[in-house]
Order: sequence, then C-alpha cells, then structure tokens
Amino acid sequence: MIEFVGAGKRFVSGPRPWRGPVTIDALKDVTLSIPEGGAWGVVGPNGAGKSTLFALLLGFLQPTSGAVRIRGLAPRRYVRRHGAAYLPERFRVPGEWRVRPALVALARLEGLRPDVAARRADEALQRLGLEPFADREVRTLSRGVLQRLGLAQALLGERELLVLDEPTEGLDPLWRIKLRAILEEQRAAGRTILLASHDLAEVERVVERVVLLDGGRVREVFETALAGGKGATRGPLRYRLELAGTARELEEAFPGAVPVGPGEPGAYRVTVADEAELSTRLGALIAAGGVVSAVLPETEPLEARVQRALGSGGEAT
Amino acid sequence: MSAFALLGLTLRARRRRLLVLGAFALLFLAAAVAARVLVSDADGHVDPDRLFMVGGYPLVSAMLLFGWLLGRFPLIATLVLMAGLASDDRRDGLARLYAVRPVSPLAVYGVRAVTLGAVAFLFCGALLPLFDLILIGTWAGPATLVLVASYVLVYGGLTALLSVWSRGDAWLALLCAIASMVWDALRRADMLTVPPGTRDLVTFVLPPQAALFELEGAFGSLQPIPWDAFLYVAAYGLVMFALAGLSLAKRDLA
Repeated sequence: MIEFVGAGKRFVSGPRPWRGPVTIDALKDVTLSIPEGGAWGVVGPNGAGKSTLFALLLGFLQPTSGAVRIRGLAPRRYVRRHGAAYLPERFRVPGEWRVRPALVALARLEGLRPDVAARRADEALQRLGLEPFADREVRTLSRGVLQRLGLAQALLGERELLVLDEPTEGLDPLWRIKLRAILEEQRAAGRTILLASHDLAEVERVVERVVLLDGGRVREVFETALAGGKGATRGPLRYRLELAGTARELEEAFPGAVPVGPGEPGAYRVTVADEAELSTRLGALIAAGGVVSAVLPETEPLEARVQRALGSGGEAT
Repeated sequence: MSAFALLGLTLRARRRRLLVLGAFALLFLAAAVAARVLVSDADGHVDPDRLFMVGGYPLVSAMLLFGWLLGRFPLIATLVLMAGLASDDRRDGLARLYAVRPVSPLAVYGVRAVTLGAVAFLFCGALLPLFDLILIGTWAGPATLVLVASYVLVYGGLTALLSVWSRGDAWLALLCAIASMVWDALRRADMLTVPPGTRDLVTFVLPPQAALFELEGAFGSLQPIPWDAFLYVAAYGLVMFALAGLSLAKRDLA
C-alpha cells in the first residue's frame, strides 16, 4: 500500500550575508514497503527524520530524490482523494477556538454533512473524555487535554491511514492505556497506523513492526511480539521453559536449552525458529515424560534492540 | 460547501483585531462629533475658521491628520484583517490539518480571503461615509465604496500572496504600500533618476498607487469615478490573488 522507493529529502536554507546556504539531508535513500492494515512504529534519535518521513508520506513535502506512493498514487493526490488521519508532533489550534465548534468545523472539512459532522464531533468528545471541556476555549486546556483534542480531530474522518506523531506526548498513564485501546480498535478495523514516538515501551505495545531511523536512513526494521507469526523475516523466538520434574528429557527435545540461573532451578531458556517448532519439541518433551509447568515467551525489549542497533555511539531515542 | 465550515472560527480568532479596528473607528467618529458640536456653522457644517479660533494650528492640523488617516483606513483595516491569512496556519501546523482532509486549500483560503475582504469593505464602507456625514453633512457617494473596494482588492491580494511565502506578510505589504507612495511621489515630481525601463517595471510591480490616488481624488473632490483606474487596480488585486492561489497549490508545507 505505502511505498518509499529510495526517497530522500534535502533542505537547503537560503544564503545569509554572514554564511552561505546550509544543506541538510533529512532523509536519505529510504526504501520501505508498508502493507495495508496493521500498525507500524517509527523510532529514532532526535533529528533522525521521523517527522520528515511523515511529511513526505502525507504530501506536505515533495521528495528531492526517489518516490513515495500510497496505493500507487502520489501522496498529495491520495490524501486529497481519500483523506488521512493526522496528529502533528505539536498539536496547536488558535486559543480562541472552542473545543466542540472546532471539532465540528474540522469534521465538516472531512466532507461530512453538518448533522453527521456534529454527531461525529460529539462521539469524538465522548471517546476522548472531552465532554467537560466542550465549551471551553482551547487556550484554557492543559497539555494533556489538548493532546486528546488532537487525537479527537484525527479520528473524526474514520480514515484508512492514520499517521500519529508522538501521540502519547502529554497524556497521563490512564489516557495512555485508553489510547492503546483506541489504536487496537483501529488496527482491528483494518486501518493502517503509523506512529512515531520516543516512548519505546509504548511503541512496542501497540505496533507490529518498528522502523528505526538514524541520520535520515532506515537502520533496521524490527518486529514486535504483536507481529505474532505473520512475518517470515522474524528472528528466532526465545521462551522460558519451567519444568516440574527432572530435566533429563529436556536435552533431547531442546538440545540448546540453557538454565536461566542458579537461583531458579527447573527454569530454562530455549530458542526455536517459530511456534510450530515449539509445539513439536514440547510434544516430544511431554511424550518422553517431561512435566512442563510453564512456557513463557521471552522477547527482548525494543529498547535493548534499538540501543544495540544504534551502537554505543547512538543517542537513545 | 465544507470550506465555509471554518468561517465562524476564522472570525472568532480575529475578534481582537475587529475590536481594535472598532475602537479606532469610534475614535474617528468621536473626533468628527466633537468638531461638529464645537465649531459647526449656521448650516451645521464644521467651520475651519472656528476650528482655528478654538484650537489654533494644532487642532486644525489634528483634524487634517484625522482626515488623512481616514483615507488610509481601508488600507489599515485590510492589512490588519488579512495579516496571517495563510502564514498563521503554516506556523501553527493548522495548514497540515487542513491538507490531510479531502478539501481544497484553495477553497479554504479563498473563502477566508473573501470573507475577511468583505468584512474590511463593510467596515470601511460604513465608517467613511458616516465620518463625512457627521463632519460635512454629505458623503462622496459611490466613489467612497469604489475607493474602499480598490484598497481591499490591491492590499488584500498582495497580503494573501505574501502570506503564502512569509510570516511577515502584512508588514511587507505595508512596506510595499509606503514604497509605492514614495515612488509615485518621486515619479510625479519627475525626480526618478533610474532608466525608463526600470522605472516602468518598478511602477508595474509595486501596488498601483497612481491609480489609487486618482480614485482618492474623485472621492475627495466629488468627481465622477475614474473607472479605468478602478479596472487597473482590480486587475492588479485579482492577479495577486491568482498568484497566491497558485503558490498555495504548489508550495511545500514545511
């Protein structure tokens, strides 16, 4: 659905009397293929090019090299035709605007009839817990409530493509959990979600794949636990296996099993290629008389993978 | 048409500017009423001799300054209302929120420009005749409205174009206005020392001050409206609006 083919973006600032023009390559040779449906995260250090990637995707900026396509269309054309849900990194609307009229007006811009727009705005107010603020001026809202207003406006149009830049910024823990549920709902509805965030733990909870950008380039694409068996490119899976009895049978069923540690007798770490291999080997273990008390997936936290990919010189996201 | 959905919010966001313009308008009207009450002659018109007797040169000068400023009021109102037409949205990121919706930015900003232009026109179209009626008991007729429309078209279009490219849109438009006034004054006095080609080019690119002066002359001396001058300024304004629309469609939303 979404394709970046060698896409790059170079910013050239105009010359000043005290210096010449300054050139910044915000994105370099980005090639990505994002299928329809599912949630993707975009992470990376400050200045890695996350927001520029989104700006190219939504047609705000034109690539200086390569191309970007959404369903075969240039982004600007796709967005003009189908629309997209978008939450900018720093959501702002004029302070004089009132919350509900602002949502109704933005819903009208989605091409909705006035009565439908009003209904959709009310639904968004309710969904994001904004009803008590409906008649308030935006200038009086706290950072967290303003962010919820930003999310509410993004969800008005029920678009196929959702692009959210730092959606958890300013949200309290309760609303982070609620946002997770909203995103899960959108994912279940078959929508394509792209979100950028510095909160890697949060990203890991809501997306299936993560694009790591660094210095304008795609450094790596990870899969998270949510990708569950969908991807052929997924790495080996690690599990913590707990046995109630002896470990004699374990050697044959799981040749590479290693004890977790001296303080945890009966706990082993095993590595398999996929769930099918895990089931086969567990079957063999049980058939040989092994007594399994627990099998727990052990995924390496995204933070650790990102840090390793960026190396010691990389700045944490 | 969904582009009209933002009209209420646009005016709400500009309510302070409207209040400031209203306060200035009241100041003009208060000056006119005070002059009328204090120094009117037997016909009820303001008598300059009596004005001089009451306040000397300062008062006469102040009234003349008020009159001159009133003539510039359509320019000021247009710049104040049109300032940030597109640049405010680009600065705040609102332009991106509009751009991801299936509505043409040309429609959004076109409707906004027409609305703000209409507000400036109605505002000045009411103030100028009212000031004249209070001060001299008559008004210049349709020439007033043609003069107001000319300023709104020329400086509305120029501000709209500059707004797509710069955050200092209204200040740049004001700079252009001052430059064109100075340029026109030098041209009339035959004091320009640049080659004729350059002179014609600069005169063509700068706001059409000569035509605006012609329209002001008709307004001030109750002469027939010079329609050729109006057509020229209208064409200039419309070209500026067209260039603004073209820039809006083509320019990146950085």
